Amino acid sequence: MTYAAVLCGLGAWLPPRVVVNDDLPAGLNTTDEWIRTRTGIRQRHVAGPGMATSDLAVEAGARALKSSGEPLVDAVLVATTTPDRVCPATAPEVATRLGLSGAAAFDIAAVCTGFIYGLGCAAGLISAGVAGRVLLIGAETYSSILNPLDRGTAMIFGDGAGAVVLRAGEPAEPGALGPFDLGSDGHGSDLISVPGGGSRQRLSNLPESAMSRYFTMAGREVFQHAVLRMAASSHAVLQRAGWQVVDVDRLVAHQANIRILYQLADHMRIDRGRIVSNIDRVGNTAAASIPLALAHGVVEGTVQPGHRTLLTAFGGGLTWGSTLLTWPGLTLCDPPAHGTDR
Amino acid sequence: MSDAYDQLSNILVTRFEVEPEELRPDVTFEELELDSLFLVELGLVVQQELGVKLTDDDATPRSTVAAVAELIEAQLAQAS
Repeated sequence: MTYAAVLCGLGAWLPPRVVVNDDLPAGLNTTDEWIRTRTGIRQRHVAGPGMATSDLAVEAGARALKSSGEPLVDAVLVATTTPDRVCPATAPEVATRLGLSGAAAFDIAAVCTGFIYGLGCAAGLISAGVAGRVLLIGAETYSSILNPLDRGTAMIFGDGAGAVVLRAGEPAEPGALGPFDLGSDGHGSDLISVPGGGSRQRLSNLPESAMSRYFTMAGREVFQHAVLRMAASSHAVLQRAGWQVVDVDRLVAHQANIRILYQLADHMRIDRGRIVSNIDRVGNTAAASIPLALAHGVVEGTVQPGHRTLLTAFGGGLTWGSTLLTWPGLTLCDPPAHGTDR
Repeated sequence: MSDAYDQLSNILVTRFEVEPEELRPDVTFEELELDSLFLVELGLVVQQELGVKLTDDDATPRSTVAAVAELIEAQLAQAS
């Protein structure tokens, strides 16, 4: 018997501190208008001192479990670019703090595609009968790896976490995920990277300063790759599902930049009105961006039960991935505030 | 003007909200308030709609609309 993975819980959490564009360091030599027209971002949330990715993950994970109506799962997956430590994975600690000691727990490293890769892993665990229920959390504290004076990244990324619970169910149910398209191209591994802190730097015999521990991104090149890869991946899942582009009620793409979202929609000939976006309030939250956008969409009513929903993402690696679902009826517990936070 | 100029003008008006009366062959993208990120976007649209690849060196914010139209024209001629 083959099971489908069915979405049955959703939660999100943002650290309370909000940084609006005008609060960014003067050394960035930019303006609120420049940032808004180039990225669509008005503000981002930033983790407070002493917080770590696991703290955000636990908050979002607890809300997703509550939303699912049951406190237990068989596996906990944490998709993140910013784990608490290089070793061990963040997921086991998160699982234990959620009262889930004993569950399988591991991290997924696919940068901004991490959440879609995580959905694919969770669906695999469920359809193979390895797990009956899976908690997948996308959690990031990019503030810990950003160079505050890098104009290509400092104003773009934010901290946050989003989570979903998946259960075994039937392929025709609302909330059933699939098909999936996942892919990668290591030729572009330098385009989005944290060069230092890993074995390449440690074994290089170069001084640590030669390879930065700051996050770097070749923005313009990434922009084109993002649009073309997400479009191709989206078309692949639509074709496999037998859906037409006009069947897509909601496009929930990785919230990298509002202009990437617009170009993706235009490129695929999806009406821009079907884009679900919260990038104005949270910036780019990498692996957390899709569940955070879904949570804001549900709270604001832009994502409704029955909506045929396309999820797609692109990120460092390079990696990309897409999947489809018909939005199920879900209740959020203690959702993130909607509208302007400040 | 050339077909490529007309096609480029049409893309600028319909996809990038440029006012038709602001469009002239000698106007630069900068003067149309289109930044370097716009040129990345333009590259995607031109590739999809005209089947022509523009590189970063081909078009800068200081390029004129006519200059980029000529590049497109040349590539279209090569392809045909």
